Amino acid sequence: MSANRTVLKIAGENGMGLSSVGEMVQKALKKNGFNIRSEREFPSTIKGGKACNIINFSSSKIYGLSKTIDIAIGLDREGVKDCLETLKPGGILIHGFDRWNKSIKNLPQIVESKKLQVFLLPARDIALENGGSVIMVNTVLLGFLWKVLGLDIDSLRQQIKVQFQDKSSIINVNITCAQAGFEYNFPSKTPSLSVSSNKLDSTKQILIDGNTSLALGAIQAGVRAYYAYPMSPSTSILVYLAKVSHQTKMLVKQAEDEITAAQMALGSMHMGTRALVATSGGGFDLMTETVSLSGMIETPLVITIVQRPGPATGLPTWTAQSDLDLAIYSAHGEFCRIVLACSDATSSFENIQHALNLSEKYQIPVILLSEATIGMGYETTPEFTDNTIPIERGIITATEEIDALQPSDRYQITSTGVSKRWLPGKSKSTYFANGDEHWEEGEITEDEQEAGSMIKKRLIKTKTILDNLPEPEIFGDPMEADISFIGWGSSKGPMLDSIEILAAKNIKANYLHFNYILPLKTAKLIEFCKQNQNVSTIEGNFNGQLSNLIESKTNLKFPQRLLKWNGRPFYVEDIVDFVREKVNKT
Amino acid sequence: MSQLHKLINKAEEFSAYESDQKHTWCSGCGNFGILNALKRSLVLENIKPQETLLCFDVGCNSNASDKIKAYTIHGLHGRVASLASGAAIANTKQKVIAMAGDGATFSEGINHLVHAVRNDYPITFIVHNNNNYGLTIGQASSTTKHDFAMNGSPDGVIPEPLNTLQFVLSFNPSFVARSFSGDIEHMTKTIQMALNHRGFAYVEIMQACPTFNKATPQEWYWDKIFDIQTIIGYDKTDIWQARKIVDSLDKDLAVGVIYEKSKPNFVEQLKNREGLGSELIDEVKSTSITGLLQEFR
Repeated sequence: MSANRTVLKIAGENGMGLSSVGEMVQKALKKNGFNIRSEREFPSTIKGGKACNIINFSSSKIYGLSKTIDIAIGLDREGVKDCLETLKPGGILIHGFDRWNKSIKNLPQIVESKKLQVFLLPARDIALENGGSVIMVNTVLLGFLWKVLGLDIDSLRQQIKVQFQDKSSIINVNITCAQAGFEYNFPSKTPSLSVSSNKLDSTKQILIDGNTSLALGAIQAGVRAYYAYPMSPSTSILVYLAKVSHQTKMLVKQAEDEITAAQMALGSMHMGTRALVATSGGGFDLMTETVSLSGMIETPLVITIVQRPGPATGLPTWTAQSDLDLAIYSAHGEFCRIVLACSDATSSFENIQHALNLSEKYQIPVILLSEATIGMGYETTPEFTDNTIPIERGIITATEEIDALQPSDRYQITSTGVSKRWLPGKSKSTYFANGDEHWEEGEITEDEQEAGSMIKKRLIKTKTILDNLPEPEIFGDPMEADISFIGWGSSKGPMLDSIEILAAKNIKANYLHFNYILPLKTAKLIEFCKQNQNVSTIEGNFNGQLSNLIESKTNLKFPQRLLKWNGRPFYVEDIVDFVREKVNKT
Repeated sequence: MSQLHKLINKAEEFSAYESDQKHTWCSGCGNFGILNALKRSLVLENIKPQETLLCFDVGCNSNASDKIKAYTIHGLHGRVASLASGAAIANTKQKVIAMAGDGATFSEGINHLVHAVRNDYPITFIVHNNNNYGLTIGQASSTTKHDFAMNGSPDGVIPEPLNTLQFVLSFNPSFVARSFSGDIEHMTKTIQMALNHRGFAYVEIMQACPTFNKATPQEWYWDKIFDIQTIIGYDKTDIWQARKIVDSLDKDLAVGVIYEKSKPNFVEQLKNREGLGSELIDEVKSTSITGLLQEFR
């Protein structure tokens, strides 16, 4: 498969500094003008088990991941074994594991059957000869990689300086080791991959993961308090926001559990600041009663779920789109909510801002879905800019309006379902934010007329929101495609790549993407299904949760579903292979 | 001037807290007295209704959420300490008081209490301890007397009651006080002191429940309480003395401020917000992220 990219895998045992090697390589590749989309695979351990970085890079824009590994670096025995298994036939393996002949079973057969090009460097000796330590084997291998890729060694040198800026004593020796690796020559021909870069202007690009992007979106949107309990794969949001808290002055609090985090966020939102919580599915389970309270007292609340496969502890460090049902159906009682889903770093930056605006405007809980593959994977994306999404709070602040407020304005029955909201302390007209059923001032009522009207008032917001929510977006020619897909979340990346790859094979594909999932917009969707005959859905879960939602809200039926639930993201190959089965054109 | 005289001069301020909502407690319920003391203490501290956020848990006590005219939240069972703390952090100028029963505080939300005390969030936390679940008609709580038959435990409660003040004192709190629902004047004074505390002020009210708590009726408390100030040389900054004084659950029940220390509260200890002077609610605005992007370029 030609996906207009090179896929590099760096593999080793978990806890051996793999992520910093991966980071250094990606940053240096970016400086060389490449577009990057990468993923990290690692087990839920501190030390041990195989881990890797899979870095897709290309001189043109790539959106999703490919699993066709062109070139791999094995940092140790675990890494070399992993690379042997996953490299494509004819792929290049670079490593420095000198006992590999003895310790890997069936080695000659594997190498022969896959026609792998294996380059074993005496990396340990090179590192030691150049004054380095054993750990600098990694740097020697990177130096050699740079030669194979035909890249300027200076870009790696510069990145080493940045990477070790806090440990200046080891900068020079690492540079020497990288240089020695770069200059190492095999008696036979040194392999080479033509990855000539178009020299994109990398200064207008950033290399970033989805969780950090979401955190930056929160900062941009004026979030002033972040509450969380650590849970993979959402934890890096907490860590990043805490790291920059002296710059942002944001209050970042690790709470004693997820219930507390959600309650503190709701309390802070009620008082009138912008607060945020993020977690994964299991943590969200504990937050659901607070979602229900938010729905009842009409206090805004935004919760991010960075999904991983469940149930229970499931696969903590792997990815899924399996908590859409959780986001939609969780929490007791009937109330209005919005569910939206990130698809990449940029949409994480933007969606958190939309989520906060929608939550405040409509005074409802908003659940923002992300995924491990988005949150922890890196990509190059145009630099985020300030002030692209204005803050909308929908609170009463003007003095004359404040002065005119009556307590019963707070939960007044209105045609849109939205009543006036003002912050505690801002008006003499006080109100009761009552978790018990209440009337317009918030006073408890069990009267059948009042209870019925108030429940309805809260629920008719759904109609108001539907009228104002953006429709899903279509990618590719919207009509008469050979095959069409409907999906959400991270599926968008490999879908966009696949549309291009399939076009090159003379197959016309298009894709309808839901950024806003609930309440479900159906007009454009129905039109799309009319104009395209061969429509599939694509989802990272077993049941087809979005497909089922659409079927329940429309007359559409989706017997053809591309589903994946094994903890791995969709790769472009998954889509192209599926299309090959469903479209008879090649 | 007596408390009552001071209040007479503040009749208008007091009436501002009055709500027209119908009370739904049993006659003789300790909640009437506690609600009265709460209003008195707010008025005597010159706190206006719009300057408060009164946070209520779930239970008989928290049905007061609309019986006092102020900014209130009536939240979820067991969670009020966290809800109120999150609110208080966002705007320390608004007076945040949390109210909860013994069921919420020592069963459903016991973890929240532990960490709210440890974090020293700037709220006043008033526990209405009537030794049972009143609103669900008389089940045992963590403070119900051993062997006493309750709805749901007709053969008597098996565990010994929790010593609530020992429990709270073990978390290195900054303010612990106790009072009794029959003594409105004492409760008022105690809540007033709590309102002036800068951190987490834990106030436990021993509350009579004439309907479901037959084990410790009103007279039982009157018989056993004594003012801690009557102990000569009692040092309320000595935590070991405090722990000793609250050891018994059946006799010599000290009321008043049992332990107090002055230290910076949670908000005051936030290093990244030192000297900022603004509240979180005043800081919501589009914030430039350009400077933060450098490491990703």
